[in-house]
Amino acid sequence: MNKYIVHTGEKKHLVISHVSDETAQWQIVQEADSVLTVHLFCLEKDADASHDVVLDIEQAGEHAETYIYGLGILSGKQHISVHTRVRHSVPNGKSNQLLKFAVKDEAKGAFLGELIVAPHAQHTEAQQTNRNILLSPAATMQTQPQLEIYADDVKCSHGASTGQIDESALFYMQQRGIAPDVARQLLLAAFFHDVLTTLGEPAVEERLQRRIAEALSAPSANSAL
Amino acid sequence: MLEIRNLHASIAGKEILKGINLHIGAGETHAIMGPNGAGKSTLSAVLTGNPAYTVTEGEVIFRGKDLLSMSPEVRAREGLFLSFQYPVEIPGVSMTNFMRAAVNAKREHQGLPALSAGEFLKLMRAKRALVELDNKLAGRSVNEGFSGGEKKRNEIFQMAMLEPCLSILDETDSGLDIDALRIVAEGVNKLHTAENATIVITHYQRLLDYIVPDFVHILADGQIVRTGGKELALELEQTGYAGIV
Repeated sequence: MNKYIVHTGEKKHLVISHVSDETAQWQIVQEADSVLTVHLFCLEKDADASHDVVLDIEQAGEHAETYIYGLGILSGKQHISVHTRVRHSVPNGKSNQLLKFAVKDEAKGAFLGELIVAPHAQHTEAQQTNRNILLSPAATMQTQPQLEIYADDVKCSHGASTGQIDESALFYMQQRGIAPDVARQLLLAAFFHDVLTTLGEPAVEERLQRRIAEALSAPSANSAL
Repeated sequence: MLEIRNLHASIAGKEILKGINLHIGAGETHAIMGPNGAGKSTLSAVLTGNPAYTVTEGEVIFRGKDLLSMSPEVRAREGLFLSFQYPVEIPGVSMTNFMRAAVNAKREHQGLPALSAGEFLKLMRAKRALVELDNKLAGRSVNEGFSGGEKKRNEIFQMAMLEPCLSILDETDSGLDIDALRIVAEGVNKLHTAENATIVITHYQRLLDYIVPDFVHILADGQIVRTGGKELALELEQTGYAGIV
């Protein structure tokens, strides 16, 4: 478990670009007026990778802001779970979470999003969004938003959905001569676009686009006999 | 150009096309008319390889090749284009990236090198003018938030970009006001040459005032029941399908 404090007035950016035993678990406390932005990228190549990512963040001082942006492409027999816990323990905090996953092959993904607003944490503004696309019939994604809101004067919203690639868009693109794998890549790049733009750095964005393309075209785990 | 022989097709076990025969030569424009449910849109879906439909009998030869054995994208690269009745919105995929992928896929198929960014943008500009498509639309996601008329114009823009041998316009007139109809039809007419061909699927004579067909076919219950010249569409306008079918 990595433990960390974002001190009063500090701005910190945590980028987890590779998930490993060393980078998976975080317990972070934010003091007043601090801003924490976390970017999480689950784009592992190892077909048997299995990780439990935990981001446990507590706003202990007022006027703190927490942003969690994440994306993942799970393939092969990977098993990745992402657990975010954002605790608003004091008033006037803000948090926003946007996490998107594409799951292929026989991979299993899970998202548990805990959002806890303490009884006296009035004027909290918190959002949580989780969107997922399943790319094969054997792929699974479990999503579980868990909001515990004990204060009454807050703005909190959440949304979660799991779907498939839009077949009509796929056919439309094929009718224009675009191969299905290229069409899927364009559609998934579009799916991840809003997460990538939160990086605010075109060069990093471009590098990640390439990693996304690689992860999508990576040969599947040896699931056939 | 296109030879359809005894084509039968079904969806979810229900037969929709019941033996279509049609010959289309280079330079020709064919109109296919018919009542709702006759199979007009099924015909365009089957020709373009929409996986929802199953061909149960017959063959289709496109420019000397077996069309039905090709994947949808190969059919497109070989020069078959469908202007969709309901163009699909693709949020997040820009028109530019979409068209670049399409144009370069076709060029690769033809053994040509990919266009440079400069060449591609020049081509976009030139073709956009043809259908009076606003530059702003070309900068947006594919069809996202486009009006009905803008979507149809965007279809003809894509047709101009891809220079197909055979274009199928599936109810391109539906949802268009008279000005948009004129712009779209003029675009189609400008693209017409002695080497390519067009199939116009429509309910109404109106579009055929602008895109004048060489042949008119009446499709009813999955078969072509009558074929004539452009005067057949006028006759139909007066008598209705009941008088003919």
